[in-house]
Amino acid sequence: MTVDTAPVPGTAPALGSEPDLEAYLGDPHDPANPVGYPAVLAADERGELLAEGERALDGYGLNAEFVPRALGGRFDRADRLAQVLRAVFRRDTTLGVGYGVTTFIAATPVWTSGTAEQRRWMADLLLRHGKASAGYNELAHGTDFGRAALQARLDGDHFVVTGRKEMVGNLSRADAVTLFARTDDRLGSRSHSHLLLDMAALPAAHRRHLRRYHTAGVRGVLLGGLEFTDCPVPADAVVGDLGSAMETVLRAFQVTRGVLPGMAVGIVDTQLRTVLRFALDRRLYGMPVAELPHARATLVDGFLDLLISDCLATVVARALHVLPEQTSVYSAAVKYLVPKLLQEAAHRLSVVLGARSYLRDGPYAIFQKNLRDLLAATLTHASAAVCQATIIPQLPRLAQQGWRSSPPPPPALFRLADPLPPLDFAGLGLSARGMDSLTATLREYLAGPGNDPAVARLCGLFTAELDRLAEVCAELPPRDRTVIAGRRSFDLTDRYATVLAAAACLGVWWHNQDDPFLRDTPWLLAALSRLAGRLGLDPGAAPDGLERHLFIELLERHEENRGFDLVNRHLAG
Amino acid sequence: MSGTIQDTSVEAIRTWLVGRIAFYLQRSAEEIDADAPLVEIGLDSVYAMTLSGDVEERFDLEVEPTMAWDHPTVNALAGYLHGLLGSRG
Repeated sequence: MTVDTAPVPGTAPALGSEPDLEAYLGDPHDPANPVGYPAVLAADERGELLAEGERALDGYGLNAEFVPRALGGRFDRADRLAQVLRAVFRRDTTLGVGYGVTTFIAATPVWTSGTAEQRRWMADLLLRHGKASAGYNELAHGTDFGRAALQARLDGDHFVVTGRKEMVGNLSRADAVTLFARTDDRLGSRSHSHLLLDMAALPAAHRRHLRRYHTAGVRGVLLGGLEFTDCPVPADAVVGDLGSAMETVLRAFQVTRGVLPGMAVGIVDTQLRTVLRFALDRRLYGMPVAELPHARATLVDGFLDLLISDCLATVVARALHVLPEQTSVYSAAVKYLVPKLLQEAAHRLSVVLGARSYLRDGPYAIFQKNLRDLLAATLTHASAAVCQATIIPQLPRLAQQGWRSSPPPPPALFRLADPLPPLDFAGLGLSARGMDSLTATLREYLAGPGNDPAVARLCGLFTAELDRLAEVCAELPPRDRTVIAGRRSFDLTDRYATVLAAAACLGVWWHNQDDPFLRDTPWLLAALSRLAGRLGLDPGAAPDGLERHLFIELLERHEENRGFDLVNRHLAG
Repeated sequence: MSGTIQDTSVEAIRTWLVGRIAFYLQRSAEEIDADAPLVEIGLDSVYAMTLSGDVEERFDLEVEPTMAWDHPTVNALAGYLHGLLGSRG
């Protein structure tokens, strides 16, 4: 294992305080910054993971962000984890995925179901900057985990592992692999187990590395494969009970899927900043591009998409702590909708950038890289369709009761400065049991005294949409309640996820009245109108000056070098 | 569908389960073999979790969503649920 503590860029983390990754990684435009855009782009051209970047993240101790505090790491809040990782995704999605996310996905099942010894071992490995790989994918089965074929046969005091995993990040250099293996030949959901592999201890003769897979986006990520042939693995490598991997996955992936979209917000923060910089510098028809009505509207829409994405991402991450019994639906919804919104926003922004949106060099070259990387960020760890298929079976029960009668959530779900209870991995519900407190926020606001008429009118559009969804979903034919459902069910999940996003925006506005930006009603009206438009509903005419108001906010943040997300913090550089 | 049911005999539970499974698989109740593993007659892990939801609403009883993973036939499920409902008093 490489433990490199070479000098690193930016300022060293102060002793005794939480290190600040954004400040530590320094000005992304500085050509001398080893993790700035010029270096990031050069590594992408070479198809390599930026080595200096990996050293810098070792120096910061990024892996500690994934390790629960009780085990000596810094993980205690899912929303904070996403916000910290945003600093990496603002600069290099490849590093974010290839250094960060891969290890996070591999470690989470161990936090969820591992023994005290296994958790300790994984924590120590991560805190030493080790690499863990998530051994799930088999090309023949993809996310149809129930048919995963790699076999582990128990033989006395050890398993004998035979089969292959393919297209798995960091497999060729992993110190640990969380391996999803078939431990029972029968069909069913008790036939797979996780094995925690210590790669250094496995006999080399029984495993063989397969070729690297090359990708269009996140080109430096090391996607590899591994073939096992009668490979002995100690029996105590099993994570949780034999046959429990499916259940562990259904819990652990709520955390990973619930957090990843919030990290990806950082990618579009950079896209928007890049295009805004261009639009302010470049003059056409005697004025800056940013003053052209279409360009300005596109920039403001991009800002709104980013705020909407962050509202849903942040609220779902907080729900893992506050409403763990309901997050089986929310985590799939956020992993479906947010990458989609971010991708759509980036594509619209590319129109403003014009030909420069695909130039691989020059001052805006990070844009084309991010455009390619965004697709990979969407596909990583469950595609849109997989997430939708996770929601579909729960729709009828949500329709029968949850959308009408769930209790509203505690305000801590939305109050960004409120502390959160520890994340109880074992407490994450496999099914929401028809409960949906997030959308109940819409009805709660409408029922309350003294609500803002403009906000209430827009909220009414979404509760009416929910009523329509309830009618359709309660009567779904049996075939349309499963992963093999027709297109209609998939469309229903898109509409439902959009309503969830509206509820998240409302809650963030309503419960953060002490925040000078968030309490400001125009952004909420614009965000809700945008989401209503996405559903084909008529949000009515926008109030005069709304776009200008948001554009001024966008410009202020740009001039003061602050992020465009809910955190609204000062950025390095 | 919510509320309690009068008859919690194994037979009544079995008949109700067969009805639900026949609905999901879009087959007649006669075609459902009560001793066959659910997954082999086409009830995958997702349907199995949906079935747990049906049970909760029908019997006003909280069960694990993985109930049908651990009691993988109609007869096994009927026996398990009868045990739970019988002990409820």
